[in-house]
Amino acid sequence: MLDVSDLVTAYGKIEALKGVTLHAEGGRITCLLGPNGAGKTTLMMSIAGILQPLRGSVRLAGTELRGLTPARIVAQGVALVPENRLVFPQMSVRENLLAGAYQRNDKAEISADMERMYARFPRLRERREQLAGTLSGGEQQMLAVARALMSRPRVLLMDEPSLGLAPLVVAEIFRIVSELNRDGTTIFLVEQNAHMALQVAHHFYLMEQGRVTFSGAPGQLAEDEVIQRAYLGARPAD
Amino acid sequence: MIDFVQNTIDGVMIGSSYALLALGFTMILGVMRRLNLSYGPSIMIGAYLGTVVYLQLCASPIMVVAATVAGAVLAGVYVERLCFAPMAPGAAIASMVSSFAIWMQLEQAAILVLPRHTYPFPPLATGAPLAFGPFLVRTDHLIMLTCALAVSTGIQLLLYRSRFGLALRAIINNPVAAHLIGINVRTAIIWAFALASAVGGIAGYLVLATDQQVTPMFGMWATFKGLIAMMIGGLGSIPGAIVGGLVLGIVEAHSQWYFGPQVRDLVAYGLLFACLVLRPGGLLGEAPLRELSAGRRGA
Repeated sequence: MLDVSDLVTAYGKIEALKGVTLHAEGGRITCLLGPNGAGKTTLMMSIAGILQPLRGSVRLAGTELRGLTPARIVAQGVALVPENRLVFPQMSVRENLLAGAYQRNDKAEISADMERMYARFPRLRERREQLAGTLSGGEQQMLAVARALMSRPRVLLMDEPSLGLAPLVVAEIFRIVSELNRDGTTIFLVEQNAHMALQVAHHFYLMEQGRVTFSGAPGQLAEDEVIQRAYLGARPAD
Repeated sequence: MIDFVQNTIDGVMIGSSYALLALGFTMILGVMRRLNLSYGPSIMIGAYLGTVVYLQLCASPIMVVAATVAGAVLAGVYVERLCFAPMAPGAAIASMVSSFAIWMQLEQAAILVLPRHTYPFPPLATGAPLAFGPFLVRTDHLIMLTCALAVSTGIQLLLYRSRFGLALRAIINNPVAAHLIGINVRTAIIWAFALASAVGGIAGYLVLATDQQVTPMFGMWATFKGLIAMMIGGLGSIPGAIVGGLVLGIVEAHSQWYFGPQVRDLVAYGLLFACLVLRPGGLLGEAPLRELSAGRRGA
């Protein structure tokens, strides 16, 4: 579905992505793990077109996305739930959802989708006329996910959805992630919470200092000793 | 007491044009998070086009309005292309400084084309002021107030009821997220400049038609009045722009009456100073922009 190959993105002279190649398969959850500063958010922003990569390619079902404007990339079917959620704080929950469907003009279908979002996220229905800035972190995360879904994406990118949330809320977010995936959404997820990600994702990549250093199924991830120590908190084998 | 009420009435009338100037200013500041010092001079260019049309064609007021607004919109978009579109996301100061340079350019261009200092501008309405009991209201002031109300209501409706308004508010709230939901931010910004300049053009027309003359200094005047009214009301807030404009108008009218015209501007700057010290976000500042005026770095 989503193919990133040899992608290089730089801030000035410093390359944050040094040739990243990875693949998110249609209908599955792919998870990218990595420490702070590895370039995970840079990768997400490069795919979404907010940052302009220097080289390489991003393809969605064969169509090249690199070089398109963010608006065109959304039109191609990529939606990013950004790090720190970035909801529109001075707009109501309802308006945030409406804004998520900005590129669509099928009014009846948009309201039907809004109803679907309220059914999936009942908290958002309760607070639909409230300003998004007054929601709790978990509610804002749900709103950010729902807003992204309102564009009816073919691939949903999520940048650290668990960031700064309480454990119970994190569990709720991951339950939703796996539910969305069961309903057919392709998900590409960036996470630091490897424990939670292990329970939902089908394939894993590990990124360090701008390079992909591991690719494998959840089983292989759990077996890898380095990852065990760094991300799953296991004690080194004696 | 009669003087006090009469001054207040006059202040509200003049203040309604300040409110429109502040409205345009605040829209640009909201979407760009940067100051457009060339805002007033763009309006002045529109006014010059208006006066040319008036002098050359003996045109009707409608045509003068159209020329003024069209000139202001063209000049506004020119400023956007030159001072805002090419600047990197972090370079707010570069935009402000280059908009200052273009201010000088526009002013000199106006002087080159029409070298006399003062040019006539067609009046809106002539005739005796209307009497309401002991109070007098100038007809053109009444038209000014009505237009200001209509325009600000229109802008409010546009922002809260239309797709374009949704896009603008999304950009004001969070530019990155606006990109991510598929808004073509660059195009929306050009339209925002055009719209703000049109509002400014209307305000400029109303003021100049009351003064019945235009000079190249009108650009500076409009930037200052708009800026002060916006900062009193609160950055990025539509109701704030209206309130700020009215407050500035009323305070000016009273200080002119009690202390004379020299002290009037002094009082206006004093009011701005007091506002910045006591309530740096302005009376009704929007949260996303409060950080700008509080001197912290913007997002």
